[in-house]
Amino acid sequence: MQTVAKLIDTSLCIGCKACEVACQQWNDQEYTLGTFQNTYQTMPDLAPNFWNLIKFRETEIGGAQSWLMTKYQCMHCADAGCIKACPSPGAIVQLGNGIVDFNRDNCIGCGYCITGCPFDVPRLSPKTKKVYKCSLCSDRVAVGLEPACIKTCPTNCLTFGSRTDLQFLAAKRAEELRADGFAGAGVYDGPGVGGTNVLYVLKHAGRPEEYGLPKDPTIPWTVSLWKGPLKWLGNTVFIGGILTALFHFVKFGPKEEHHRG
Amino acid sequence: MDKRVERFSAPERLTHWLVALCYLYAALSGLALWSRAMWWLAPVTGGGENLRAWHPVAGAVFAVVLAVQFRRWAAQMKIDADDRRWLAASPRYAMHDETGVPESGRFNAGQKMLFWLQSSSAVVLFATGIVLWFPESMPRAARLASILLHPLAAVASMGGIIVHIYMTTIVVQGALHAMTRGYVSQAWARSHHAKWYRQLSDR
Amino acid sequence: MTNGWTDVSNADVILVMGGNPAENHPVGFRFVMEARRKRKAKLVVVDPRFNRTAAVADSYTPMRAGTDIAFLGGLIHYAIENKLYHDEYVKLHTNAPFLVKEGFDFAEGYFSGWDGAAKKYDRASWQYETDAQGFAKVDPALEHPRSVFQLMKKHYARYTPDAVANICGCTAEEFRKAAAVICSTGRADRAGTILYALGWTQHSHAVQLIHTAAMLQLMLGNIGMPGGGINAQRGHANIQGSTDMGSWNNLPGYLKIPRANMATLDDYLKANTPKPLRPNSLNYWGNTPKFMVSLLKAYYGKHAAKENGFAYGNIPKPGETENYGWGQFFDKMHKGGIEGFISFGMNPVANGPNTPKMLDALSKLKWMIVVENFETETAAFWNAKKLGGKFYPTFVDPAQIQTEAFLLPAACFAEKDGAFVNSSRWLQWKRAALPPPGDAKPDQEIMSRLFLAVRDLYAKEGGKAPAPLLEMNWDYTNPRNPSLEEVAREVNGREIAGGRQLNGFGELKDDGSTLCGNWIYSGSWTEAGNMMARRGQDDPTGLGIYPNWSWSWPANRRILYNRAAANAQGQGWDPLRTPLRWDGERWRGDVPDYKADAKPADYGAFIMLPEGVAKLFAADLVEGPFPEHYEPVESPVPNPLHTNVSSNPMATVFHGPLDKLGDAKSYPYVAITYRLTEHFHYWTKHVASGSELQSNFFVELPEELASAKGIEGGDIVRVTSARGSVEGPALVTKRIRPLKVAGQTVYQIGIPIHWGFIGRVRGPLVNNLTPSAYDPNSGTPEYKGFLVNLEKA
Repeated sequence: MQTVAKLIDTSLCIGCKACEVACQQWNDQEYTLGTFQNTYQTMPDLAPNFWNLIKFRETEIGGAQSWLMTKYQCMHCADAGCIKACPSPGAIVQLGNGIVDFNRDNCIGCGYCITGCPFDVPRLSPKTKKVYKCSLCSDRVAVGLEPACIKTCPTNCLTFGSRTDLQFLAAKRAEELRADGFAGAGVYDGPGVGGTNVLYVLKHAGRPEEYGLPKDPTIPWTVSLWKGPLKWLGNTVFIGGILTALFHFVKFGPKEEHHRG
Repeated sequence: MDKRVERFSAPERLTHWLVALCYLYAALSGLALWSRAMWWLAPVTGGGENLRAWHPVAGAVFAVVLAVQFRRWAAQMKIDADDRRWLAASPRYAMHDETGVPESGRFNAGQKMLFWLQSSSAVVLFATGIVLWFPESMPRAARLASILLHPLAAVASMGGIIVHIYMTTIVVQGALHAMTRGYVSQAWARSHHAKWYRQLSDR
Repeated sequence: MTNGWTDVSNADVILVMGGNPAENHPVGFRFVMEARRKRKAKLVVVDPRFNRTAAVADSYTPMRAGTDIAFLGGLIHYAIENKLYHDEYVKLHTNAPFLVKEGFDFAEGYFSGWDGAAKKYDRASWQYETDAQGFAKVDPALEHPRSVFQLMKKHYARYTPDAVANICGCTAEEFRKAAAVICSTGRADRAGTILYALGWTQHSHAVQLIHTAAMLQLMLGNIGMPGGGINAQRGHANIQGSTDMGSWNNLPGYLKIPRANMATLDDYLKANTPKPLRPNSLNYWGNTPKFMVSLLKAYYGKHAAKENGFAYGNIPKPGETENYGWGQFFDKMHKGGIEGFISFGMNPVANGPNTPKMLDALSKLKWMIVVENFETETAAFWNAKKLGGKFYPTFVDPAQIQTEAFLLPAACFAEKDGAFVNSSRWLQWKRAALPPPGDAKPDQEIMSRLFLAVRDLYAKEGGKAPAPLLEMNWDYTNPRNPSLEEVAREVNGREIAGGRQLNGFGELKDDGSTLCGNWIYSGSWTEAGNMMARRGQDDPTGLGIYPNWSWSWPANRRILYNRAAANAQGQGWDPLRTPLRWDGERWRGDVPDYKADAKPADYGAFIMLPEGVAKLFAADLVEGPFPEHYEPVESPVPNPLHTNVSSNPMATVFHGPLDKLGDAKSYPYVAITYRLTEHFHYWTKHVASGSELQSNFFVELPEELASAKGIEGGDIVRVTSARGSVEGPALVTKRIRPLKVAGQTVYQIGIPIHWGFIGRVRGPLVNNLTPSAYDPNSGTPEYKGFLVNLEKA
């Protein structure tokens, strides 16, 4: 099966939030009201009932006034930290097309995936005690439709397709931007997590943090340590402990009471 | 018929077994969360969603009762010069060759080490457990640390517990009885905790 | 729009000024993005705020609200000074060579003919010098000192980059940079478009402002060109249709309303049928009698006959100078001069200026009917004291209001069929998506049942003037709820004998043998069927013209004035972007804005104008033939060009007790109101998703002003004008720059509209602040650039 992907060309994003509404509607989310945060941004962060957020950032890059608008959602990593951290088999699955999807029947709400995610995407609902995030509309993709956000984007900032095609397109767009005077333009696709199935074209690819994207995202080392060496340390302790006891029992057996003077 | 000596009072035993019960549940459910290879323990401990809910509750109860136990025993768990010599001689103790192994008080140095190991790991488990209990309201750095420290402390603790259970159920016959019924024979007391036995006799 | 959304992708330069399409027209904005990708087009934004459009633009120039004419006049000066204008185009397609009568002048802020006592102009000196046949005299070389070109050059000589900077608040360097890009389209092989919206229309000098833009585009040879034009982005899905179908001062198809001094149809036609001003002027408005008679036949059917002037007498006629524009109408209401009011899909309490006056006006009515999807501020105006009381300290209690208010539930757009006319002038037919909920009814049913009930009363009881109702043609299959298909066919027009649907307005007759509800829509529903429902995606010219997608008025023409994209020989200025080309026998390409088989030299390119060419100099507008920079009615500085005539001398201003104006001493900051992408007007605050996307009213202010006042983001601020106040959290931003204007620092603050005292999310009505000041030509209120004070609440 082909790996699918989403391309976000931030140079074309106008922050219209159509993708936000489409996401809310398709996923039948409960609407909430926001408190004022001194920004145009809908809410401060992703939420259990808000999986697709455009981050608005007023900044200056190279002396030029900038107002960056960056769509933020699950990146559908090839090497997904959430899956790595998840204890419950089948709660998070990587589909054959590369989509990292949550199966909430199996979710136990431990929240480890939140910690395991290098992009800080999943959100635990205090109400349902389950974790939520963008599914890249796996239900739509399964029947041959593009994700809701892509369907609704008015400026063609969003494109859906095979990852290979979009990598090519992203590289081409970055090249066009470089030719247009943005020397730092490039593609952001998370090599540290084996590549993400959400690709960004950034005018200033060297400074992803200006867009609210983590620089060089990788699975947190504590998660890797926990799921790697620590597991072996534990196994050694448990199995070693039991084996040692067994050996001791066979060799020495129980203590006998003795009398001392 | 040998005379009986009270080794653990009823409150001591109650506390111990409460701690043990909570520990057992937390450990089994924790093992399910620890590794997918151990996920078969999830249905045993109530199913995924329930164990996610109960594990921290068991842990919290464990921590509270353990605190009571700690207050009661901490003073008796001080490591003295004899204990240090005992520890040095512990390999011989393990091989049932007690020559040169100093006499023990109410608790031998091994038990004292276990006490401190469990108490200290409990502190870590409790602190990191709170973080993991409510991840949505905790800073990311704390979560990242806890996700590592919590199982690390659990491994240390459970390593100790394996030794503890083996020692008290198999190696030292009568020890389990001491914790279930509360008393031991004079001979047992003299044999395993001679210093303690003498203190009792002197009184 | 002269062109259309799809055509924007043909542009080389896109000037966005007086609009914010990324914010308010995100779907159309895709064509801006396409132009940038396809043609490497440059997007130039000039606006008081660094807005969503500026965020993706190639260049942004800040400016002070209400100084657009200075900026555009500066561009005209820059183009002339640097010889960047399209000389051949200007000579061929504009009235630049026309000679103006002796005596025309401009001095000290006034054009010649100013009558200080009457406060209006005598426009006699603004006319062309004519020959014996009544044709205007011309100097093809543009050298005559009284040629339009020379007069214009002189008029804008004052608009130097330094003068522009001094007025607008940008630097002269910033102006020059923007000007170089914009004026780069003066070449034959380059085209530039202008996208504007309410940022241009909501001024006390708005029509002149848009005239300036049209002049600039004519000078640069961009009118008629693919990727050119002057393009108004309409706000509502069907506001273009609403305008096309008429208002108090226009009948459908921009036919002027009859006035009391035009007692007969002959009088009317004489007054409104223009005569050609040049020998080669096609003068299409010469067909006015055909349009008017066919309209009267649609209105009055068999009652309209040649003998009775086609029942022309039935049309109500205001006095010669009487005005029922928004400002005048509500002022009349406020003074107790209006008995009843039907508000159809309109919310004047929220969207009219000076809300306190609006509330007071409605309280003077005997009755009011509101037809709406929701209970609006207007429907509940009588309860404003309770719902929004702190902002209306002088408004009375409900017990003291005698207005009887009715709220009729109406179907919303998705619950009706019919056509939307978009900014591109496309009539796009749509189908109802779902039935209206509860008792909600489609507009035509509400309107018809009201009409029939009133007509029955007239039939039974008589009355002062029953004929206009009793003679109204209402022969619909279901008179209580006419189908919109049936109405659309009537709007298109047909032969009365036999009922053949007309192919276009060319078939209209002035003898009463055809009827047509709106001549510019003729061709939208022919014998071939509903042309508006077409969805063909073929694009034979490759210019994004899509002739088979829906139907565009007039005559399915996609680019207005497309003849002007060709030179005197009928060949395109830019061979690669030719919407219309003369092949020796016919014009090929888009539907020609010209006689299809007339030779290039036969007529001027602007067939709707008596001149036959486009007007740089236009005596049609009340405040002068050339646009001049006038300050907003409330301004932080006196007009740097002529301090004694600061704001538009012809601006419509009222002087009642609720019409106060403020001065810069008490109200030092310039305020603008605007829309956000998250909301649609005052509607989506009733909708869950829109309310989530932007839940809170706020006030945007520059961080320099905020720090001077000790205000931090999120602090509640109070904004006060001479009319009223609003309160809400401050959004402190770098995106609004303090400006240096006439030697002093001017701060601008921005307030989005969208909130009110009813809805899922609520906030103060921004029109509590806005002045009762209007453009004299269009009657549009001045929402951009009025004075306020701001303090921490």
